[in-house]
This record gives sequence, structure tokens and C-alpha cells, in this order.
Amino acid sequence: MSDENGTLYLYAITDQAQVPLCVGPGLHGISPYGLVHRDIAAVVSPLPQAKVLPTEANAWLHESVVEALMAERTVLPARFGTILAGEALVQAALMAHYDNLVANLRCLRGRVELGLRVLWDDDEPSESSRQPTNSSGRAYLLARFEEQRLDRAWRERAGALAAELHNTLAQKAADSTYQVLLTPRLLLTAAYLVERDQLTTFKAAVHSLREDHPILRFLFTGPWPAYSFARIALRIAQG
Amino acid sequence: MSELVAREKEVTLLDLLDRILTKGVYVLGDITLSVADVDLVYIGLKILLSSTDKVEEMRKLAAQHPVSEARRER
Repeated sequence: MSDENGTLYLYAITDQAQVPLCVGPGLHGISPYGLVHRDIAAVVSPLPQAKVLPTEANAWLHESVVEALMAERTVLPARFGTILAGEALVQAALMAHYDNLVANLRCLRGRVELGLRVLWDDDEPSESSRQPTNSSGRAYLLARFEEQRLDRAWRERAGALAAELHNTLAQKAADSTYQVLLTPRLLLTAAYLVERDQLTTFKAAVHSLREDHPILRFLFTGPWPAYSFARIALRIAQG
Repeated sequence: MSELVAREKEVTLLDLLDRILTKGVYVLGDITLSVADVDLVYIGLKILLSSTDKVEEMRKLAAQHPVSEARRER
């Protein structure tokens, strides 16, 4: 299929290794193929050079191959720009990480990832009303303490609200991750691993949260391949 | 995306980049050769996100800074 020592671009690792691949062209218009180890496969395509430009088009190409794979297989999506030097290295990685890969695939079977960002307006700790103008040391310190108190209160508000939103949804998910205040405006950034046949229920739960919190902005995307729940780093033997 | 819930293209692109550049199976070691470029794009994305006040601004910024232009000049 290719020069076996050539550079390979990795899209995903999947189960159902024996099912024929049914995906469109990958990077550089080259068709991906599967490198099989037992019942799992690494889906790769040859790269003319050991470099992938991070363009929007390439990002979507990567994604479209992974999504096509999802139609018939359980998929551990690879990070964009994952390049391996030759088929032997890929095979060695599949062999070395086989148990972890199979366990991770089992967790993802029949499930998809949904993404949620929640924006809020309460994006700064309230200004201390009395800024000292002729700041004596004492006034300065008091102002700093007040600033810190307001900042703590603001973070606590954010943490409580984010946790409330997140917990409601996490109950309906097989797994989830969340982060609070990645930026002052970004109250919640979360990912949920949801059974495919529970998508409608999950969307309804998001809709209901949206109705309960009309001043928050909900950005809800998916279903995605389970990037946030593919928790494997392949260690490649040097040599 | 085939079954998109929220199909605002730029917001979805940010969500896609956030996933494919920082999550998923990756390789430890020095075999990944394109990492420098990808990191730079992600830094660009973070700046984009942290400077975003409204979704509308997020869209506008994404349109003004296509990913393809965020590469390092050599």
C-alpha cells in the first residue's frame, strides 16, 4: 500500500479491524488504510513530508476521516498532527499499548462526545467602590484586601454555578470533564460522553438548563468523536 | 459534522480545534514533527478565546484570523 518506512499520519485507533475501511480521502488527498494488530487497527495515510500544515481545511479533513470511521467502528481519535515514522513503529505502538487501547475503546463503545461552553455576564469581580486617591500605606492595603475578597467571592460564585450546571448534565453522561473560568467570561467549559441512544434526552436536559438560566449563553456542539475521553499517550521506542 | 446541534461554523471550528489540537491519542517522544506549528496555532486560539466578550466577536475574530494564517513565518 505504501513505502513501509515512509512517514505516516495517524487519524485514529479503532476496533473492528477486519471491517473494510469506508472513508474518503485523507490529508493530501491520499486514502487512509488500516494497520491491524489482533482486533484493533491504526488508521493512517502516507505523508509526502513529515509535516502537516495546521490549516482549517486540514483540520476538517482529519475530522472527516475520524467521523467516517465512527459510522462502523468505535474510535479513539488521534490528536491533530500525530505523525509516525513508518509502519513498524505504529505496529509496535499497537502491540505495546494493546491492553490500554482495548480498555479505552470499551469505555467509548456506543458513545459520543458533546461539548458545552457557558458564557456569563458576571465576568469581573465588582470594583471596590472607594479607590484610595491619596493612598496611605494603610488605605492601600485595605483596598488590596477588599480587592482580594471580591475576587474570591467572584470565583466562588462561578464555581458554584458551574458545578450546578455541570452536575445536572454529568448525571446523564457516562463520563465528563469540566473546567471553570478558562477566561473570565467563560464560566464553564465541559465535555460529556453520552450514549448515542441518549442524545435526545441529553439535548433536552441542556435545553431545560438554558430555559432555567436565560441570562447565560449556552454553546452546545456535537456529537464529536470522543477526543476528550481518548486518554492514551503512545510511547514510541526510540531506535 | 453530520448531526450538529449548534451549527454556527466559526464557533464549531473553535470547538473542533480545541479538541483536535489538545485532546486525543498522541505520541510521546520526538516522532511528532509538526508540534511547533500546531502549538502556535493553539496559542492563537487561546488568545482568541480569552479576548472574546461575545459570541458575535468570537465569530468576527475567527473570520479575521483564519487558522491558515496563524502559522509561524519562517
